Amino acid sequence: MLPSELLFVRRRKGIIWPRYAKLSGENLEVANLLIEAYSRHVGEKKNVLKKFVGELEDMGYDYRFVRGLSVLLDRRSDFKCNVKVNPVELRRKLYQTTEKLGLPTTPEQRTRIIKSVASELKLTAEMMEESLYADLDSELVLAEFKPLPPQELLKNYNLSLTQTLLFSSTELNFTASGNWQRIFYTIKRLGLIYEAYRSGGFWVKIDGPASLFKLTRRYGTALAKLLPAIISNPKWTVEAKILWKYTNEICDFKIESWKHSSILKTPKTPTVSYDSIVEESFAMRFQALRSDWCLRREPEPVPAGKHVIIPDFSFERQSVRVYMEIVGFWTAEYLRRKIEKLKKIDVNMLIAVDETLACEKLEKLEKRAKLNLLYYRKKIPLTSILRYLEELFQPVKEKQASFVKNLPVTFLEPIVKYEEFAARIGVSAESVRTALTEKPPEGYVVLPNSLVKKDKLREIGKTLEKQISQTSRLPLPQAAKIIEKEGVEDTSNVLKALGYKIMWRGINPEKAEVIKPESKQTRKNS
Amino acid sequence: MVKNGEKFKVYAGKDKEASLFMIRLRFARGTLLLRGEVGTPYGKWDPRVGCYRVKAMHYQDVLAYLGESRVPYRDEVPNLPPLQTLKSSVKLRPYQIEGLDKWRRAGMRGIVVLPTAAGKTFIALQAISQLKTQTLIIVPTLDLMDQWKRQVADHLNVDTGAVGGGENTVKMITVSTYDSAYLKAEVLGNRFMFIVFDEVHHLASPSYMQIAEMYIAPYRMGLTATYERGDERHVLLPRLVGDPVYTVDVEELAGEHLSPYDYEKIYVELTPEEQRVYDKEMKVFRNYLKEKGIVLKSVKDFHRFIMATGRDRRARKALLARNRALKTALNSGAKLKTLAKLLEAHRNEKILIFTLHNDLVYRISRLFLIPSVTYQTPREERREILEKFRSSEYKAIVTSQVLDEGVDVPDATVGFVLSGTGSTREYIQRLGRLLRKVKGKKAKLVEIVSKETVEVRISQRRRQKSKKNSKG
Repeated sequence: MLPSELLFVRRRKGIIWPRYAKLSGENLEVANLLIEAYSRHVGEKKNVLKKFVGELEDMGYDYRFVRGLSVLLDRRSDFKCNVKVNPVELRRKLYQTTEKLGLPTTPEQRTRIIKSVASELKLTAEMMEESLYADLDSELVLAEFKPLPPQELLKNYNLSLTQTLLFSSTELNFTASGNWQRIFYTIKRLGLIYEAYRSGGFWVKIDGPASLFKLTRRYGTALAKLLPAIISNPKWTVEAKILWKYTNEICDFKIESWKHSSILKTPKTPTVSYDSIVEESFAMRFQALRSDWCLRREPEPVPAGKHVIIPDFSFERQSVRVYMEIVGFWTAEYLRRKIEKLKKIDVNMLIAVDETLACEKLEKLEKRAKLNLLYYRKKIPLTSILRYLEELFQPVKEKQASFVKNLPVTFLEPIVKYEEFAARIGVSAESVRTALTEKPPEGYVVLPNSLVKKDKLREIGKTLEKQISQTSRLPLPQAAKIIEKEGVEDTSNVLKALGYKIMWRGINPEKAEVIKPESKQTRKNS
Repeated sequence: MVKNGEKFKVYAGKDKEASLFMIRLRFARGTLLLRGEVGTPYGKWDPRVGCYRVKAMHYQDVLAYLGESRVPYRDEVPNLPPLQTLKSSVKLRPYQIEGLDKWRRAGMRGIVVLPTAAGKTFIALQAISQLKTQTLIIVPTLDLMDQWKRQVADHLNVDTGAVGGGENTVKMITVSTYDSAYLKAEVLGNRFMFIVFDEVHHLASPSYMQIAEMYIAPYRMGLTATYERGDERHVLLPRLVGDPVYTVDVEELAGEHLSPYDYEKIYVELTPEEQRVYDKEMKVFRNYLKEKGIVLKSVKDFHRFIMATGRDRRARKALLARNRALKTALNSGAKLKTLAKLLEAHRNEKILIFTLHNDLVYRISRLFLIPSVTYQTPREERREILEKFRSSEYKAIVTSQVLDEGVDVPDATVGFVLSGTGSTREYIQRLGRLLRKVKGKKAKLVEIVSKETVEVRISQRRRQKSKKNSKG
């Protein structure tokens, strides 16, 4: 952020935009000149360095741009007071001596005082003069400077310029592709108020408590602080109302990721980090299940009235979406308020509550159809969650299954893969399976993943039989080859349907063999 | 006298269930939230949170309204620090008693206008000792913070809290800067019942006026020597603090409670080199104005010109040239020679030297080995210098604008003004600094102005605006 007098903007017809520095040509040159100047001036006084900066301004570059860059470079610099005597003590000594000997109104009187103090402190007169005000800002010496690439400096400048403009903002509207928890946490921490709304996407309007009474720039600083959290996303749009103090006019300001991301310094996007070990372990265990549910971390916020709820997870499967929030420490009052808030929304919400983290005695809380409180201890139980999810999915499944069942369709191909068929009619493979299992089409065998014509199956059976009868067993890879050649993919299910068994020797399928159970029995009998 | 919970009745419901439906008044970051099915004439429906929101400054009005409507309510607004025992040793002069009395009769709200050094502080201290309630004193500078803390300790015999300048403690009596009071209104707004606005004219600025709006304190006192502002914004103050209830001019007090003073103006000629630089730079400036047909007559004209410098590079060049010319005139070496003579003539008197630019402060400090006070002076050193000046250990101080307002620098008898901006307030305050009653001593103010420069006009403007305050 920059001092307000360095704010470099254009205004026209109620629109305001910062004079962003493009990362090219002359701008890179100026940035480079300044960075080099700072590196070169290590060990020199600040006023010498600033004189050079002033000369750059005189060369025709806009002073707001040059000084803005310089301000940012100052923040990467360490200016130190570089003399042996403490200037404050030196001055005290000098003033006291002056009071004793009288104010010097001639050069001779002055020299006398300086010499008297110098000899007392065992300094030379020159050292005295040098040290007298060595602690003034302009007299400090540049002790260390951390250089950076000119592009970085310009990006940093553009971000600072944007934030400085936002100091004068009365409200800010944004949409973003993610990072919601951090954004809303920041909004809360800064004492701002938000309203969520839809306008070709999920938008949030932010201002502060007193904005209700009049337009105020009071929350501008907080809005500027919020900006990095928003623009650290891959996609975003930010709009703000700027109250231009010189004309008392409201101007519109807008930046968008596709246009501005490349010239603004953006904080590194935090990789999905988990708030708690509970959440992380849950996500890992759930992923390991390889269920049909797609687990998403920090999904898009759910509007609840004008507020939003940011669930920890969402489970998605076709048209069904279920949210889950994991509650940390809680009280009955907290849960009651949470439920109250959730009443306003019409989504399926699972609230996982750790019994061991209760701050007071557990009270019976109201049960609601769309809301499910899931009590657990330490570890979130996967089975009950899956059961809940399946329960929710059941109506969808049934509806689709009955749709498939009543579908006037006659199968002609020898092999029908559920997935392909399901995709063609727009339902889930599972409902196809359910429907076909319940009412198998004539002349077909229903396998877990595909429908196979009985003739076809018999054909495969014959081929296999031939191979097996020679050695009474057949390596699995060979069997798979035969089956796949016929166009069926799920080897093991076909084998099972034909009454074969797979003998595993370790986990390597190459070593597994297909046998006929009867032969086993025969051997046992013999 | 006000005690907690005496004036502001709290209707707390005994029945827990009933209390859920009771109206709750809550402090929400500089505003009040009214929960429950009721509106007030002061509130506004806030659709963002679904209840009525009221400016914190209407706290008392809302309570009165709810009381009159006989609506049961629960007041959860104040969060007051504990009371401490005050031992007042304040003795007021007759005009101070009159001022305080007028303020009390105006409902313990209002502005007292007294010249600098007329003891505004004591009126406020006496008001605090009578009200015996949680009080926030808001001042413009860190120097004034120190000064008020000392005064409260000396005259009310109690420790003060402080917010600002790196400190952040809240006590029954707390001192804060305008900046901190503004920035922390969200958390401080419900912690005091009485606010003293020192140098209250500052409060009228667009951001600071929010302090008045975001604090609940029903009792308010504004203090100033210069009620009127150049931008006319002082008309906003009565709504925020109360009307001006008592006004005394410098002339009414001079001679009686303040020392009378002489005014003298000395013109110096620029050195030939300075004159050459001055003429050259002013020509650049004037040529630009002529070419563009710009006439600078009022402050507003000048503001418009300054705005243009943001768009037009040549305008900015012209402005910089003018600034260099002025700086040459203001910081003229000839002035330093005159100053040397004056210092010689006023040996052993207590002297304050004012300049506009810090550069000149340091030049004078180096040349005459006089303690300097600017915004860059470390706080501890500044405190020490002012303390030693007060105790006459140091007899001279050179300073830029930091001492302009209200800071007590007692017993100075001579003032030298080496440059100025031409604003009325600054001039009055600088005079005020010198108006200390020392037995039989007449204060003296000398202004050193460069001849035949714009500066002569600035100085005349200053004099015109404050003619009635001067006897010189």
